[in-house]
Amino acid sequence: MKRVLILALLVVFSSPALSSAGEDGAGILKQRCAKCHDLTGPAPQTIRKLWERDAPDLFYAGNKFRREWLVEWMQKPVRVRPAGVNYLRTINSSPTQKKEVEGKNYDILWGSVLKPLRHLALKPAEATAVADALMKLKPYDKYVSGMNLDTSMKVGLDKGEVLFDKVYGCLSCHQVEPGFGGYTGAEVYTAGRRLQPEFMLSYITRPKNWDPKIWMPNGNVKPADLQKIVNYLITLSKEDFNAAN
Amino acid sequence: MQPIKILFVFATLMFIATPAAYAEVAFMNYKSYCMQCHGMHGKGDGVNVPAMNVRPRDHSDNKYMMTRTNTEIYKAIKFGGPAVNKSIKMPGWGDVLTEEEINQMVGHIRTLCCEREILRGVNFK
Repeated sequence: MKRVLILALLVVFSSPALSSAGEDGAGILKQRCAKCHDLTGPAPQTIRKLWERDAPDLFYAGNKFRREWLVEWMQKPVRVRPAGVNYLRTINSSPTQKKEVEGKNYDILWGSVLKPLRHLALKPAEATAVADALMKLKPYDKYVSGMNLDTSMKVGLDKGEVLFDKVYGCLSCHQVEPGFGGYTGAEVYTAGRRLQPEFMLSYITRPKNWDPKIWMPNGNVKPADLQKIVNYLITLSKEDFNAAN
Repeated sequence: MQPIKILFVFATLMFIATPAAYAEVAFMNYKSYCMQCHGMHGKGDGVNVPAMNVRPRDHSDNKYMMTRTNTEIYKAIKFGGPAVNKSIKMPGWGDVLTEEEINQMVGHIRTLCCEREILRGVNFK
């Protein structure tokens, strides 16, 4: 009799949770994403806490991402950061590799980051629901409020790359096409599709506002150049990088 | 234990523990911010090197580093390469690191290049 009662109780308590998880975006977020992603904030305040991070923070996703990209990405997840979110775990600097190949004596990536990303893929209906839930997370409106993209300051790809590489040195960490650029930053050839222009403007101006201990420096980018760089990134993301292959 | 002894132990601990804690913070910061280009062991061989047209400084290069003053290293970290007539590829970290952390970082870089000179008591200015 006791067993039957316990079973009945279990069914009663667990079934609403199960049924809601299928439809409700916030429920899916809580159940499947919260284990690795930070959904509540605040961002890590010390360097130690930063190194404990397993996945990108999502608590300001509504200020950061474009909804269409989120829906698309969650159905077909691919790696965005070549060195992973936490590059201390993925960079190999063993002294043994040094003299093996002449001219290739630097640290290398290794481990899980060389394989395709392991990430949960959602069904189309779930992805839409989760994207809607993510777009509601907007704690940093104050940082994007003053930011407006000036589309009249468009630059060509060549001029944009000069700004990106030679003037501000962003290329050392960010890739402007697959395999061309540094590893430790997020790829920027998808940034225009991935991120809201206001977010890019605000983040480049002062990364510290969004993530106090992040390893992206404040490049002191001039306001005019900032507009040009973000316009360049948006143009860049419209390029077809698979065409050459 | 006599109070004076406790005081003595406490003072000794302070002398040992405080610099060690500082050194650890600087080491962590070096591993987080500098390592991407200057390498895990500061030999100018970071993971981003293949993408760069300027080779990052080898911090273990005693000959070169001995020609730089602490003030110059401090400036390079805080305001970036152009502040000391070097490449733009070295960004300024003044926004991320505090004044104290930058000073500790200068000390940390000195331990990478010039340990013998530190023991000898050289004034790096």
